Amino acid sequence: MIRTTDLVKRYGTTEALRYVDLAVDPGSTYGLVGPNGAGKTTLLGILAGLRRPTSGSIEIDVDRSRIAVLPDTPRFDPWLTGREVAELAQRLTTGDGDRVEEVLSDAGLADAMDRTVGGYSRGMLQRLGVACTIVGRPSLVLLDEPASSLDPLGRREVLDLIGRLKGSATILFSSHILADVQEVCDTVGILDHGDLVFQGSVDALLVGQAVPRYRVRVRPPSDAVADALEQHDWVHAVEQNGADELRVTVSSLDDAESKLAGALAGAGAKVISIGPEAVTLEQAFLEVTR
Amino acid sequence: MSLWRLEWMRLTRTKRWIALVGVYLFFGLLGPLTARYLGEILDLAGGDLEGATIELPPPVPADGMAQYVGNALQIGTLVAVVVAAGALAFDAIPEMGIFLRTRVSDMRTVLTPRFTVTVTAVVGSFVLGGLAAWYETWALIGGLGAGDVVAGLLLSSLFLVFVVALVAAVAGRATSVLGTVMISILVLLVMPIFGFADAIGRWLPSHLGGALAAIPAGTESLSDYLPATAVTIIATVALLVLAVRFAASREL
Repeated sequence: MIRTTDLVKRYGTTEALRYVDLAVDPGSTYGLVGPNGAGKTTLLGILAGLRRPTSGSIEIDVDRSRIAVLPDTPRFDPWLTGREVAELAQRLTTGDGDRVEEVLSDAGLADAMDRTVGGYSRGMLQRLGVACTIVGRPSLVLLDEPASSLDPLGRREVLDLIGRLKGSATILFSSHILADVQEVCDTVGILDHGDLVFQGSVDALLVGQAVPRYRVRVRPPSDAVADALEQHDWVHAVEQNGADELRVTVSSLDDAESKLAGALAGAGAKVISIGPEAVTLEQAFLEVTR
Repeated sequence: MSLWRLEWMRLTRTKRWIALVGVYLFFGLLGPLTARYLGEILDLAGGDLEGATIELPPPVPADGMAQYVGNALQIGTLVAVVVAAGALAFDAIPEMGIFLRTRVSDMRTVLTPRFTVTVTAVVGSFVLGGLAAWYETWALIGGLGAGDVVAGLLLSSLFLVFVVALVAAVAGRATSVLGTVMISILVLLVMPIFGFADAIGRWLPSHLGGALAAIPAGTESLSDYLPATAVTIIATVALLVLAVRFAASREL
């Protein structure tokens, strides 16, 4: 759906994007994560046609009229009603206005659609923005931090709306809230200072990019077990977490699966439990951007 | 909901039409009144000018229009620039610009209704004020030739079309409504300075602004405005082309 090759964007001497090769497959929900200033908004702006790249190429396999964009804090003429804003959004994309009430109801704005948007809360504006984004049945949806400035309830509502879009459109969704990305997206790209430092499935990031680590609980004392494990060359580090828990960093999950049980037995450990450490997206993100 | 209806609603719901109609109609009614009763107004103000005596000639019908044009060209144009900037600087709030830019690929589609509706409102208000001034001049001082007044209204209206086109072009570069207003006003203020040299002044769009006063007064004829008319039409078209190009090339 989207392919960029060596995409570069410079603002003066500052490189906002550095040779970014983005690949978003059709039908996927792609989460673009990165700290503030990483280049997420710039990349989305270029894909939306709002900014021009300094160099590099972009291929988007969908007509420009089928791309919908939601800025991070959507704003509308405050003297228009929610219904009128959605009608305008659909009229400008598909030429008709038959889905307005449907999308506004889906966005939880059924009771407020005939009120002027000047009186809308931040969350209502965001939901109206999402409604305007989907009213034209887009094939590609670009969402810039759609839930980052909302309270938990508003965030939940916007994430649910995005979740309902899955399957009907390709979604590229930027955020610095990793839990949102983990919940909604199947593919993730990590931007760091303009570099796309990781791109792949969320599972691949959690398993492959994070440091493979096992959490082992043994009957105390665990000191001798830790010393014994550290003698193996496939064990990179052993941290003691209390008297009965060891966090064993290994060279690969494959090594751990084939050798760790034997190594523990050889060390005379009385094993209570053993398993790979559940890695959160936040941990994986920190590993990748470290 | 179309972009045309959006602009109509911008005028009506934000009450901007009241500002335009109000200012031109106010000066249209006030101008002839001032021209007719200026002597009495000065007397009522005290008339003590430390021995100096001001003798005003009896008012003539052209004075009514001259009073209207004098005020309409200053305060009226300022209001017109502010209203036009509010409509044409559509990127002033980037999120609103994104709403339009990601749904409309050709900036002419965005600018045409904004320009047309604004011009219609500005020119309509100016003409309404001019007709009010014409009627009141007839009632208080004396009649003016319809041909002269209509010619003056047309030429002065052309100047206002130029003003809105100027605002459209400036809005393509400025980053705020205030910036658009300030730059546009600056250009409009600088233009008459060049006009002090008569050889240049008769070619400038600002020369058209005074047509509603000068033609009915008989101080200038329609043919005297041909150079400024030609330049204004060409400049208006050029400014509109620039406005579209500036809008298309802008990054948000």
